[in-house]
This record gives sequence, structure tokens and C-alpha cells, in this order.
Amino acid sequence: MLAAWGIASLVFLVSRVLPVSPEQVALIEAEDLSRAVGPASAVQLAASQQAIRQRLGLAAPVFYITRIPGSTNDWQWNGLHNQYHDWLSQVLHGNLGKSYLDGQPVTTLLAHALAYSVPLAGSAAVLATTLALVLALFLASASGGGGRTLVQASLAALQVIPLFLLALTLLLLLANPEMLNLMPESSRSPAPNQLAAIGRWAGRAALPILSLVLAVLPTLTLPLAASLRHELNAAYATTARAKGLPIGRVLRRHLLPNALLPLFTTLTDLLPTLVAGTVVVEVAFSLPGSGRLLAEAAAAHDYPIVVAGVLLLAGVRLLCLIAADMLYFMADPRLRPTT
Amino acid sequence: MNFIWRPLPVAYWLALVWLSVVLATGLLAPWLPLPYPAATPDLLHMAAPPTPPHYLGTDPLGRDVLAGLIAGAQRLVMLSLPAVGLATLVGAATGSAAGFWGNSQLRMPLTLVAGLLAGGYWLAALPARLGITSCLLAIGATSGLLAWKRARVGRSGAGPTIAVPLDSLVLGTTAVLGAIPRLILLVALAAGPPLSSTQLLALLALVAWPETARLVRAHTLRVRVQPFIEAAQASGLPGWRVWLRHALPHACQPLYAFVPLSLAGLIGLENALAFLGIGQGPDSVSWGSLLTTVRQDPTAWWVAAAPGLALLCTLLALQQLAQTPKTPFILRQNRTK
Amino acid sequence: MRYHWLVSSLTLLISACSTASPEQAQVAAPIHIRWSTDPIALDPLAFPNQNAVEAAALLHLSLLQNDYQTDSFTACLAEQLPTVQFVGDSVTRLEYHLRPAAKWDDGRPVLATDVDFTLKLMQCPGLPNEMSRTQFSFIRQVLPDPVDPRHFTLVCRGQAVEMINASGDFPILPEAALDAQHTLRALPLAVLQDWPAAKVPLPPVAALVRRYQSADIARTPGNLPGCGPYRLVVWEHNRHVLFSRKATWWADSLHAAPFVLQARPQLLDYLIMPEDAAATIALRRHELDVYPHMSARSFQQLQTSESVRQEFAFYTEPSYDVVVVGFNTSRATLRNKLTRQALSRLLDPAGLLAATQLGQGSLTVGLLPPTNPFYNDSLAALTYAPSQAQALLLKAGWQRQPDGNWQQPGSKEPLALALRYRADDATFATIALQFRAAAAKLGIIVTLVPTEANVLSSALKSGDFDICVRTLKGSPFGLNFSVYFHSKAIGTSNFSRFNQYATDHLLEAIEVESNRLRKRHLLRNFQERIRDEVPLVPLFFLSNRLVTNKQLRHVVTSGLKPGYAVQALMWAQTDSLASGPTP
Repeated sequence: MLAAWGIASLVFLVSRVLPVSPEQVALIEAEDLSRAVGPASAVQLAASQQAIRQRLGLAAPVFYITRIPGSTNDWQWNGLHNQYHDWLSQVLHGNLGKSYLDGQPVTTLLAHALAYSVPLAGSAAVLATTLALVLALFLASASGGGGRTLVQASLAALQVIPLFLLALTLLLLLANPEMLNLMPESSRSPAPNQLAAIGRWAGRAALPILSLVLAVLPTLTLPLAASLRHELNAAYATTARAKGLPIGRVLRRHLLPNALLPLFTTLTDLLPTLVAGTVVVEVAFSLPGSGRLLAEAAAAHDYPIVVAGVLLLAGVRLLCLIAADMLYFMADPRLRPTT
Repeated sequence: MNFIWRPLPVAYWLALVWLSVVLATGLLAPWLPLPYPAATPDLLHMAAPPTPPHYLGTDPLGRDVLAGLIAGAQRLVMLSLPAVGLATLVGAATGSAAGFWGNSQLRMPLTLVAGLLAGGYWLAALPARLGITSCLLAIGATSGLLAWKRARVGRSGAGPTIAVPLDSLVLGTTAVLGAIPRLILLVALAAGPPLSSTQLLALLALVAWPETARLVRAHTLRVRVQPFIEAAQASGLPGWRVWLRHALPHACQPLYAFVPLSLAGLIGLENALAFLGIGQGPDSVSWGSLLTTVRQDPTAWWVAAAPGLALLCTLLALQQLAQTPKTPFILRQNRTK
Repeated sequence: MRYHWLVSSLTLLISACSTASPEQAQVAAPIHIRWSTDPIALDPLAFPNQNAVEAAALLHLSLLQNDYQTDSFTACLAEQLPTVQFVGDSVTRLEYHLRPAAKWDDGRPVLATDVDFTLKLMQCPGLPNEMSRTQFSFIRQVLPDPVDPRHFTLVCRGQAVEMINASGDFPILPEAALDAQHTLRALPLAVLQDWPAAKVPLPPVAALVRRYQSADIARTPGNLPGCGPYRLVVWEHNRHVLFSRKATWWADSLHAAPFVLQARPQLLDYLIMPEDAAATIALRRHELDVYPHMSARSFQQLQTSESVRQEFAFYTEPSYDVVVVGFNTSRATLRNKLTRQALSRLLDPAGLLAATQLGQGSLTVGLLPPTNPFYNDSLAALTYAPSQAQALLLKAGWQRQPDGNWQQPGSKEPLALALRYRADDATFATIALQFRAAAAKLGIIVTLVPTEANVLSSALKSGDFDICVRTLKGSPFGLNFSVYFHSKAIGTSNFSRFNQYATDHLLEAIEVESNRLRKRHLLRNFQERIRDEVPLVPLFFLSNRLVTNKQLRHVVTSGLKPGYAVQALMWAQTDSLASGPTP
């Protein structure tokens, strides 16, 4: 938890130091609008920037101690009236601040976005893991031959294709009226019952989930397959096979628990990415998910959302690390976590 | 003793040939003759299908795809592969060290640690540096004095030592580096000046290193409890030697499958950097950046086919090399005397 | 056996998906329009992006509004264009008369006090109105008419011609919604404008700010209802925004309603789709009916299909945005105008237009479109002429060294330039690549620096570039070039840092000139000067491309954003119902 706070603080401080600040971003966008009023003079621009900074709370000093501008190593104490202190006290009360762009509380925005992303990411992760296990067992057991090479080659191909290309290809192949038009029509009227609602969600979410699964499948399968193959050479595996057990059973019962370790590592690395890194899929399929929210907030310098997102991600990642360590211990009791 | 030569599969030789072609192209790229110059848009043939002189077509920006392939090979050989190599090296070293020594096994002399901390604090110009640096130097000096006195008396040992919490350090660093979402990193970089090649290399290695470290650390935890490590330690070898010669080679086993994935991930990161405009301009082409231009014209399949195939073959070749056993022969004891 | 459950659940899901809801009658069907970004905040005081401006135009009305049929400003809430009276040499008085029929939703009439309240709201601190505050601070006073509550005079500072249109381009907000006690009426506007930022605001102002903030106008604009024809029904952040026509709108009772006061569609559904390819597919699946600002390539590709041509209508309209290559005239290498002229000969505008816009757009010799009456047609078009470029470089004093670089005598620095442009734009990338290749042939080193949009904007303002490629937004309302070329704008919009006394005078003269013949002469002079001094090279004007469902009627296209008049659209069935059955 301490690390999560540390990371969020780091992002907070770094964001305040970036050269282009939120008030400049707001005013840059305003120049592009098609309105009759012309652009402002330098004095007016400076005045409005200062006004925005005050409204957003960016005019106060950043941290408890700041370097005096000009000198290299003189620091001044700013007391409790600084941005960091305000942010920290708000976070400890559960208030993650308000977005700079529209003034909405960050918790509401994040909750809405996560409500879209988490079911998507969760189902993609579950599907990907099961498929990865199945494919890895197949790859390890099939002793050469066309099937294995084909699967290996297609997994490598999937690895190479950038995610947006994958999403775009799926869209162009499966939702195009010229090619197969498998995606159902999206209707805006409310669903007649709960099952139809789930069905409708599944229909709309099928393509994004498919692209996510295909994207992470190589990362999960290939190291697992290699690990299984390596374990196949171990002494206990030979014993098991000499006992007369079929290869499938040997793999599942005896080898898999030993070979699962790299899978845990990659899986726990993957979960935070699935929550926040799926910007490409969300943009391609027009889903208002959390990845897109964070990406757009980062681009527009909307720091409350960015910092809250980093806090959330860091927390999730650390939970995953703890879960991974626990899974290691469960899979192989010899591994004691170091004190 | 008999050596039985195990014939290597055809795929191994194909992989070797392909990788040497890529390597040669990458190294000789500035001197290769091209039908159409690189990074020059052909304004009359934007996103044109393969016709002479554009034997592989042009991309939506007008650049020749063949010239782009060769430039991409150069970038792969000069940037991506060294970055992956560096990341793997650093990751393997730190991860296995963290797994091997844990938090309490590695002991370093207090003088050294105090001196390093003092130097770091002074350079970082953090507040009250005069006071804290002098405290640290005082501690270092005292422990150095004690160590010298012990050495004079003839006692063994290096004086007061402090246990370096290596595992927590490495885990913490990887957690911090891994927890910063890539997006934030990219946006923060976008605000700065454009990166030179060395800076880009360092950045890519920095981003790819944590995953390797965690993987190797996990495997080291398993290798550490194996009997042969105990045997090596019992035979009196110094700790670092056991780590380097005995534990490290086995701990790197999951890396063989992971390195091609790491390369694919780095290429993905390079794509994102090029997309945001951080890496380098459109005059330096990579296979990944050619793939990103497909977004502007999804019907231009030739722009995706050529670099996609090239990337695919490279990854398959690396995988094949990783899977083939390391020695081309097996040793067989001659039983019959 | 164990896959039975998988197969059965999949079939269940698929059957659930395919139960389509019954088709609604097309008459009441919403028109689906594509937006590429969320409007973010529907606050009438601050417009985060262009989509917010469009939404505000649906919900609110202003005194003067864009007429897309004629691309000019016409009277909307005002009965006619204001009467202009110049007082002295720095004050203008604009007299407005509000329409008698104009009413708020609750039946109250729209009066001068509402205009006064809106202007004062723009000056209140603590609200997201900073941009409006600076843009409309030229209005110093609202003088009401003691006899007629709908008649008032705006006292403005300055005498620029485009100020007339600007004075009416803000949405009028109801005083009764936020200030029912009329607490702000006694406070003069100038006092609010000159209130120092550090001073604590007056109690009525502070109370108003608190009421505004608690109303959360950005997300629920219904708390500050406008007198526009639509109201917000649904807003799913980043997914879609649904507007519905008010059943009783005051302008329905006007019998000769001008174009800006017509609102035909019943339901407007804006779908937010950031990816162009996905939006094109949605268009073909008939999930979208209107697709504005389509890229040139997809526009052309769609037209090649016969089935698409039967279902959709394609429109192209020249816009007022011009792509320019700008030079930083304050840099030592670019200070000499002959160097800049030489570099301008390395660009190939015709080729670039054909390559990036597929010919849709128009070449230009100055910053005015060829259709403009003030276009200087006696200037020759620029073409790619490397020999001329070389001759001009030699004339400027550059000497070619044995290693191919150019150097000034006495200096060791070779001619090396950094070209900045916005990173995510393919047009700029192609232009940059072409310039670089042409310059490389001549021995000039050009480094391409694609920059992120925000960083680019600040780099341009601070002069941290040598050459840049960007789009200048124009408008048909004003030919105000002092924005880009006057010395007082250096550091803000005069990115080329052009600083010439004579041009400043010329620009000031153009600003106040009202005689058409003299203005034409001045503008021709100005275009020639720009061609001679070359602070920037205008390449070509872009066009707006629009694709609509063929069932939509009354598609009025325009060069201004968003490129079409949304309030004039109508489904074909509704149109035939309205006009009666054809014999």
C-alpha cells in the first residue's frame, strides 16, 4: 500500500512539473473553435491562465518544501497550505478530486468507466487463461507434426500484429456489410428482460473480447508451453511415463503445477494492463472504458483523473503481486517468500 | 566415448538463414542500392499497390515499402535487438540476484554502503544535504576505523556489515517501474525534447527490464532449493560464484521463450512512441511504424503484409532457435568394453 | 460432452441477440450523427471543443448566429443586425432589438436584462468562464432602454469591423433560473470586469457562483435552460448524446422564420466514435446517418462502390482552413527573405494537394481562397523549382561547401533546419517528408520533429522552431490578418514573429477600412507583400466532406464547421408527409 501511495505521489509531483499545464491545454483548444471572436492578446491570455489556475487550485505551492527559484540548493518551507497536502487529505477522506475539464467527481467517472471495462477485461482474462492452458497442453503433448507447427506459427503471427491492426481486421472482417456481417444491430430501446440484456451486451462485447483474447493469448501460451516441454525432460516426468500414464495425464496432473509459475507471473502482469491498457480496443469499438478515460485524461493533462487512475492501477498491480506470491506458495510449498 | 550427431531440424537452418539475412541487411543498409530512395514520398503514387519501381507498393504517406523494410531491418539490428539484449541482461542479473540472496543473505561492509549513500544524497541535491551527508560520512568513517582495528588485530571478517535488502529493493523498483502506466510515461515523454538513439535505447531497456527480472526471480526461488546449489555452497565456493556459475544459468531457463515476446513488446512500445511522435520522425522507418500507417488506409493490405511477414519470420526464427537443444550432439557412454 | 454447456449457452446468447426490437416509424426515427469526441461539458460559458459549441447551438440561442446557407452572420434572437455608431475613435455603440416573440420555456419573454445577466455571469470569478471573460471583455456596458425592455445598446471598446459579429456570438442565459431576486442588476458590468483577482468577490456575486456550482450545469444543462429548439434527453459520457425537439418552441409561431430559426428534426442522436474506420463501417451498416469531416481517401473509396452510391449522398464544400508552411523569421538562418523565398521553391503544392487531399481542395497564392473577391490573381502560383531555389540561396549569400552543406561566409554553422508539425496528422507528415527530400537533394539538412499538439502550440508561441507546417483557421466573417502578422501579436498568434513596421500600418488600415474598392487595393498590396517577404507559404485550402443517408433531405453544406446545417435536415418521409402526397 505504501508503494501505491509512493507511486501516486510521484505522478502527482511530476505532473505539476510538466511544461504544458492544464490551463494552457484548455486555452489551446479554445483557439480552434469556429466562433466570431478573435484570439486574445498576450496580456489577456496571461490573465485568463492565472484565473483558470486559481479556480483549479494550481496556484498554491506544490509541496511542503520547494526549491527557491534561481538557486540550486535552497529550499523553503511552505507550511500546510500546498497542493500536495490538500490532495493527500482529500484522498484520505475518500475524495479523489474533480476533473479539470468538466468538474465531475473523479470517483463517479472512474466507476462508470470501470463498469464497462471490468466485465470486458474479466471475461477476456478468463477465456484467455483457459484457452492458453488448453493450447499449451496441446503444444507440449503433440510430438511435432503439422498441427503443432500451425498453432505455433499462428500464435507467433498474433504476437506480431499490433493490437489496433487486430481490432481493425476483426472489425473489417466480421462487422462489414461487404464481408461477413456477424455483429448484431445495436438497438437503443431497453431490453425486454435480463437475459436479453446480457445477450445484447454479449453481442456487442464479442468482438472486443475476441480481440483482447487473441492479443494476450501468445504471451500466456508460449512460455507455458516451453516450460511444460522443459519439465517433460525432468526425472519425475520420465518416471510417470514409465509407469504407463498417458501423456495427457502426465502433463495435467504432474507437470502443470510445476510449470505454472511463469503463467502466474505473466497473468498478474496482465490484469492491470487489461484494465487500463486496452485503449486501442476501446477506441476501435467506441467503448467508454477506463483505458480510454485514462488515455484522454493524460493527453488533456487532466491530472486528478490521471493520479486517481495511477493510484488504482498501482493498487491493483500490487494486489496482483501479492496474489502471485500466494499462488507460488500454493503451487510449490518449497517456495517460502523471503522475509 | 561416442558422439552421436543429432541431425538438426530443417526449421533450425531456415531460422538461422533468415536471421543472418536480417542481420546483414541491417548492418549493410546504408550501402544497399534501392530502386526508390527511402523516406521520400512519391506524390503521384500514394498507397499504390506493388508495381515497378515500387516492388512492394507504397504506404499511405507515399514512402516505398521495400526501402522501409530495409530501413526497418537496420533499426531492428541497431536499436531493438540491443535494447532487448540489455533488458534481458539487466533483468536476469538483478532478478536472479534478488531471488538468490533474498533480503538477508547479502552482507556488505558498512563503510561502503554509507559512502555510497552519502555520495548519492549529495548528488541528488536533496534538502539539508550538508547535515545528512556529514552524518553518513561519520558513520562510514567510524565503521571503517573499527574494521581497520579488527584487521590489525588479525581477526577475520570485514568489520561491521549491513544486510542489503536486495529482494525488497528489486521488487520495489520493478513494482514502481511496472506500475507507472505506459500511457503516463509516454505523455510525460511527449512533453520533452525528442530522444536521441542512445536515449531511446536506454528508455526501451528501462521499460522492458522489470518483466524479465520478475520472471527470473520467480524461477530462481525454485532453483535455489535444488540439491546441487546446496552442494555447491557446501563445497566452499564463494556466494557470488555459486550464484553466477551455478544458479544463474538455470534461472534463465524461462527466458528462452520470453525473449521473442519481449522483442514483440518492445516493437509495440516503439509503435506507440512513433504514433505519439516521441521516437523519431517519419524519416526513420521501422517495421512497426509501417504497420501503423495501415490505420489511415485499411484497404492497403500490402503495407501490412510485407513488414508483418518480416516481423513474423523474425519472431518464429528466434523461437525456433530458443527451442532447439543447445548441443548438436549427445554423449553416449560406450558400454561395451 | 463437457462442451454441451458451452454450445447451449452460445446458442442462447445468439438467439437473445437476434431478437430485434420492432422498427420504429421512420418519421420519429432519430438522425444519427457522428462525433469523434465527447463534448465533455455542456456549460454555455465554456466550450472545451467544437462539439460543445454545436451542442450549445442546439440548446441555446444568441443574438447573432451563423447562417449556413449564406455563410454569414444573421440576426437570431435579435430582430436584425445591430445599428453601428462610432463614438470618438475608440468606442462603438451597437443597438440591438430583441424579437418580441422570443420566450423562455416557462413563458417569460427574453429581455435585455437576460443579456445583461449573461454578460455579468461571464465575469464572475470561480466559474469556468475564463475564455469568455477575455473574449467578451470588449463589451463595457449594457445600456437598457427605459421605454422598451427589449431594446438595449452595447457600448464596446475599440472600432474593429469584426467586433460587430463578435458582439452577438454568445448564448443568452435566463436570469430567472439563477438570479430570481435580480441581485446582480444593480452592479455595473464594468465594475465586475475591473474587479481585481485577489480581492474577495461581493456577496451577491459569491452567492451566484455558489448557486451555479451546485447546479452542475456542465452535466445537467437543463438546470439553466436556454431558449433554443432542443433539450438534452440522454447523455452517456463518451457513448452518445440525444437531443429532443421541444414540443412547443416560440419560433414555431413566426410565419416567416429565417433559416437560423428553423429546427426540423425531432430527435438528434450524436454517436461518439473516435476511430474513423469503425465509423465508416457503422455508416455502411446504417447505424450512422450523417458522417461529417470524412477523410479524402475513405471518401473516394466509398464512392467506388455502386451499392454505397445508391444509399448515400456525397457532398464536398470548400472550407476556410488553409495549410501553410511557416518560417520563424527571428532565427538567424531565416532572417533573410531571400533564404525564405528559396525554401518556398522547394515545396510542391500541386503535387501535395493531389497526394494528400486527392485533389479535393484548392491551391492558393495567398491567405484568401480563390473564390474570395479580394483574391490577388495576378500573383503566380508557386511550383517546385530547385534551380530557382539554388539561385536564390546563392543570392542570399550562402555558399556551397565541398561536403554539400551550405554555409554563410564567416560562420561555421551549416544550413540545418528543424521542421515541427502536429504528430498525428498524415497530411503534415507527407508535406514534411517531401520538403525534407527536396532539401536533401540540394544539400540542406532538415530534421523532422513531429510534436504532440499541446507541446506544439506552446513551442509555436515561444518561437522554439525553424519551420512549421500547420493549418490556419479562417472564416468568411473577417479578413483579420493582424492576428498572424501584426507585431503586437508576437508571442501569441504571430508564430512566424513577423515584425515589419510597414505591414503593421497596412494591417491597421485594412482593419478599419469599409470602402470596398480601397479595401481591395489594400488587400492586394498585402498579399503581394506576403509573397515577397514569405513569413509563411500558403499551400492549399482544405475542403469539408460530408456523407449522408440518401433519405435525408435539405442537406445544406457550408465551409464552416461542422460543414452542414443540422437543424435543416429532415427525413424524406416526413418531408413528403408535410408537403402532401405527390400526384
